[in-house]
Amino acid sequence: MQNRLLLTATVEREEALRVTPAGVPVLEVWLRHQSRQTEAGIERDVACEIQAVIAGEKARQLSGRLSGCQIEAQGFVCQRSLRNARLVLHIEHVEFVKG
Amino acid sequence: MANDVYLQVAVDVPLRETFTYCCERPLPTGTRVAVPFGPRRVCGIVTGPSAPGGLDPARIKPVLEIFDDLPPLPVSFLEMVAFAAAYYHHPYGQTLFTALPTALRQPGNVRLPDRRHWWLTPAGRETPPPAAHRARRAVWQALAEEACTLAALRPLAPQASAILKAWLAEGRVASGEPAALSFREGPVLALNGEQQTVLQALAGALAQGFSAWLLHGITGSGKTEVYLQLMARVLAAGQQVLVLIPEINLTPQLIERFAARFPDTPLVTLHSGLSDGERLAGWVDGWQGRAGIVIGTRLAVFTPLPRLGLIVVDEEHDTSFKQQEGLRYHARDLAVWRAHQAAVPVVLGSATPSLESLANVEAGRYRRLRLTQRAHGAARLPEVQLIDMRRKKRTEGLAEESVEALRTAQRAGQMSLVFINRRGYAPVLACTDCGWTSGCPHCSSKLVIHLPERRLRCHHCGWDAPVPGSCPDCGNVDIRPLGEGTQRLEAALTAMLPEARLLRIDRDTTRRKDDWDQLYQRIQAEEVDVLVGTQMLAKGHDFGSLGLVVVLNADSGLYSADFRATERLFALLNQVAGRAGRADTPGRVLIQTQWPDHPLYQALCRHDFDGYARTLAEERQAARFPPYCSQALLRADAPDLKDAMAFLDRLREALEPLAEGIEIVGPAPALMTRLAGRERAQLSFESCSRQRLQHFLSEAVPQVEAAARRASRSLRWSLDVDPQET
Repeated sequence: MQNRLLLTATVEREEALRVTPAGVPVLEVWLRHQSRQTEAGIERDVACEIQAVIAGEKARQLSGRLSGCQIEAQGFVCQRSLRNARLVLHIEHVEFVKG
Repeated sequence: MANDVYLQVAVDVPLRETFTYCCERPLPTGTRVAVPFGPRRVCGIVTGPSAPGGLDPARIKPVLEIFDDLPPLPVSFLEMVAFAAAYYHHPYGQTLFTALPTALRQPGNVRLPDRRHWWLTPAGRETPPPAAHRARRAVWQALAEEACTLAALRPLAPQASAILKAWLAEGRVASGEPAALSFREGPVLALNGEQQTVLQALAGALAQGFSAWLLHGITGSGKTEVYLQLMARVLAAGQQVLVLIPEINLTPQLIERFAARFPDTPLVTLHSGLSDGERLAGWVDGWQGRAGIVIGTRLAVFTPLPRLGLIVVDEEHDTSFKQQEGLRYHARDLAVWRAHQAAVPVVLGSATPSLESLANVEAGRYRRLRLTQRAHGAARLPEVQLIDMRRKKRTEGLAEESVEALRTAQRAGQMSLVFINRRGYAPVLACTDCGWTSGCPHCSSKLVIHLPERRLRCHHCGWDAPVPGSCPDCGNVDIRPLGEGTQRLEAALTAMLPEARLLRIDRDTTRRKDDWDQLYQRIQAEEVDVLVGTQMLAKGHDFGSLGLVVVLNADSGLYSADFRATERLFALLNQVAGRAGRADTPGRVLIQTQWPDHPLYQALCRHDFDGYARTLAEERQAARFPPYCSQALLRADAPDLKDAMAFLDRLREALEPLAEGIEIVGPAPALMTRLAGRERAQLSFESCSRQRLQHFLSEAVPQVEAAARRASRSLRWSLDVDPQET
């Protein structure tokens, strides 16, 4: 079953790093994406905002370094909670985009 | 045959009867003996002479050993045991052995501390040992000053025992029982007009036979000072006083206050935290009349006191006076019975009397005395305010107003208390992705997060497991603590008030014996700005300078299925609020709630205990709930609820023909159905007449026992007369 999202985006906001009761660090960020894509043969503007989350040691490493950066984030999407169907990107790989 | 006397002996077994044994000589009632019981050798208490009756004399077993370390148990003690056994419908032997300290339940002689005093004879006084003999010289000098026990001499000279033995042979020392109780009273506090009136009324009842008094005094009204001055009169007359106190209130500071007031009166404390030896020594000191004051938790109610002159039950509404297992007695009720037996007054004190005691006042059985003012002239009752949390932003459970008030109090140099009756970090761990919560595998309850140790713990059965790294159902690692406990508040407040010195007090921070003492010293030394704590902090302690109390999470008691929940919540909050504004600081109490319009909170803001108690009493009367009916609960538990319910269903059918004037309700699953791997159900018997209920129970219990013998081995049952938990 495929669930993969690759998104180039700017980190609009970065929350403070938190730690789950089991000791796993969790970092929540808000990503803003803007690009041009082709639809029905016509080029168009695309923009979206999506919440993303990074869990594990990577969260600790990235904490405090993301805000304002442009990144390429890759991961899977999952709904925010049982009662909230909004999608959240769970980031597995991050690459900083130069420029 | 040599064994020609027959005796009734009670042993610690779940059977209603006593057993016949033979002995070569008659033994007085109350003698402790060892007897064979099945393959075991057990401790027994002689309850009277017996006839072999239909038994084959050859099969009657002999008493194995007679213990003469102590005199026979007094008749009045055995009478009280008999009453408790009959009233709570508990086997006599088990009741008797519950009332005894553990050391006396063993089939062996007990070692009692050597209370003998040693002193110098005139001959001994004239012959001081040479200074070169350091040890002998030290012992002689100590004895030259005053009579001492061996225990007091040992630190001076390890060989004190041998020295005394030698001197005794030479006639240089003598020993014997310490002098009779002496009495001296330390400095007393001045009483206000109300306190004087109350003291006079109570003092007038001394030596006038039985009387029961409800001393209803608001928090900080100086009830303890009234007790102390009343006790002074009893002790001065050479009588003994029994003081019963909830476990949580029995602090070293309280004991110190009593001891300082009566410096020459031997004082004994009895509670479940003592070693067997300590408890035995205290019990025997009371029984032998050596102790003038016995202060203890519920178990102290059984202590034999030959010269009892007064019983005080402080915080009489407290639920810890009711034992919740085995012999389910209520120490307050037994204390009243005991006062009646000994023909002495009993004083029940509280700021929030139980509805039971109020109903007894109404019925004319108890007389009520009131203290409506705070003892310190300057101290006023705190101002109680509600914070409506319905549409309020909160941070870690705290409203912005609460944090601001804490900040202001800290700047003003006042100590604050944040009260939350829940220890641990958060009451539940949850996965927001799939809905999983941390349920206890053995109970119908949630596992509480204890963050410093990263453990999940059940506060009901003690189950303990590591916090899982991810959700056990869906694998999500971002599982979250829901709700607040003391640890979480401590952490949140540390971040919000970085300058404040915080101190958390709950069962986890006071686990070891002297923890509480050290914490208390920090409070007394004013090294604390904000206390975070559970009901441990709510009850009994006078912190002097508490300026602000913030109450969190009290709402859960408002709509509980237990009809006593609101009565208890009111008493608890009233007590918490009473911590504020003692001495000369006017206090402020903030209660965060989702239900600001609830009559309970409204009454609390007006300090209107009477009005709220009347409302509750009317509700109970309308519903015919206790105290407006007498109730007993038959509880059954089994690994499977079906079996417990079926057992009670069959009993209901069998008992219905006997139940004249008795309403049988149920069976129904217990509020907390599953506990420690067993599922529980209950059947309630209710009647407007206590006598009728008692009569019914004496007919019902043999049937229950018979049914239990036929039921599966895994089924357990118990009867709770006047239950406090439903």
